[in-house]
Amino acid sequence: MNLAVVTDNLGYLLVGAWPDGPIGGLALTLILSGLSGLVSAVLGLLLGIGLAMSAGAGRRTLVLGLGFFRAIPILMLIFWSYFLLPILFGVSVPEIGTVVTALALVGGAYLAYGVAAGIESIGSGQWAAGLALGLGRWQVLRVIVLPQALRAMAPSFLNQWTALIKDTSLAYVIDVPELSFVAAQVNNRAMVYPAEIFLFVGAVYGALCLALDRLVAVLAWGARRTSWLSRGTRA
Amino acid sequence: MRRLFAFAFATLLSVGAAQADRLDDIKKDGVLRVASFDSNPPFGFVEPATKQIAGLDVDFAQAIADRIGVKLDVRPTNPASRIPLLTSGKVDLVLANFTITEERAKQLDFSIPYFASGQQFLAKKGTLSSPDQLNGLRIGADKGTVNEIVLRRDFPKATVVAYDDTPFAFTALRNGNVQAITQDGPKLVGLLAKVPDRQNYEIPPFSISSDYIGVGIPKGETRLRNLVNETLRDLGKSGKAAVIYDRWFGPNTEQPLPRLFRIGEHD
Repeated sequence: MNLAVVTDNLGYLLVGAWPDGPIGGLALTLILSGLSGLVSAVLGLLLGIGLAMSAGAGRRTLVLGLGFFRAIPILMLIFWSYFLLPILFGVSVPEIGTVVTALALVGGAYLAYGVAAGIESIGSGQWAAGLALGLGRWQVLRVIVLPQALRAMAPSFLNQWTALIKDTSLAYVIDVPELSFVAAQVNNRAMVYPAEIFLFVGAVYGALCLALDRLVAVLAWGARRTSWLSRGTRA
Repeated sequence: MRRLFAFAFATLLSVGAAQADRLDDIKKDGVLRVASFDSNPPFGFVEPATKQIAGLDVDFAQAIADRIGVKLDVRPTNPASRIPLLTSGKVDLVLANFTITEERAKQLDFSIPYFASGQQFLAKKGTLSSPDQLNGLRIGADKGTVNEIVLRRDFPKATVVAYDDTPFAFTALRNGNVQAITQDGPKLVGLLAKVPDRQNYEIPPFSISSDYIGVGIPKGETRLRNLVNETLRDLGKSGKAAVIYDRWFGPNTEQPLPRLFRIGEHD
């Protein structure tokens, strides 16, 4: 074991060429995960609501679109949109934009089904009660159904975000200098210490996913507590 | 996987070629966009001190940018994205240890060669001494390289195992998964210099091919190609090519290699 290869290159692994060049390494992995996690959550919520509330031709189109993004490998989506769009339409998308869009679209498509299932899991009695109170369909969704459904969806969001963190490494295919890409650069310069370098990289991804897991657990616990408290004061 | 991409691209992109003159665009933008390796020392790698891509290929790219009178912008590439980067117009030139082959020349133009290397082997001492033995060995190669293609074509009985990059291939050799690994000679010399127990390994003194390395240029950009060729010939004549060579392969470097190839001899 020669851990010096990791400590000597720690700065590069953490932030890439920054501040002398573009940001990279772990920092870029965090940026890519954060952005695509956020956009995929918004997309998943909107599309999931669409899926649960629509019917007929609109729903069929949505199912078809979601099916496409759930079926296509992220690697292919990144590669083709980066190299094909400039040729077909003359549009040149920057690398980071391509990766975030691809991850968010695929992540959003998966989340949409989780959101739709969460909404459908709320008993029809809740809907009936809301409508009987004189609320509209969308009002019932917003005030009564979603707050309950979102809590049930938390594990599914967590799963998707964990997968997203690890999938950011697919950005290597268009040479985006995220954590595993800069690790490959260091590995190819040092030549003889791949085990040390990639054990470190694996540990970092593990720590990231674990931290996210804890964060969501704390947030979910907080949410349960406030809802329990507010219920208590109302009673 | 990477080769699949490259193939899919080849079929798709042979459709249209740009008509605009790239050289004018480069001058107008004031930037020459070049793709070089970031993981292939000493041709192109991230220099620890500057954290920028440096190497033999980058020095030649800088000379071309200076000749045009514009700034050089180097972006990283891997073996498989070299052709798509060029055909999709993301870069103007590729200087990435790019072996000139007929197959590749269908999709892009090459300059005259500016470097030459032979495909060689690295093995534990005493395993390999002549090409005749190759057919009975398990050999590691880097995925998607000309080395892998040549080995499969000329030594069909050898068991070829393709690895993502050279460090992984070398680890496989060290662990005994393969009996030899293959790469360009200059790269193997550089690799061996970094191995702590290098006395146990050797690079047998034979090569199975000689490869010429050229600059990848978008198809049909005649003016740009002429300028690149003139620049390379002038670098050869003025002795600057030798200075660049010595900076990476000279007697005081990690991988000292005698300089056998001269620009302009193999046009």
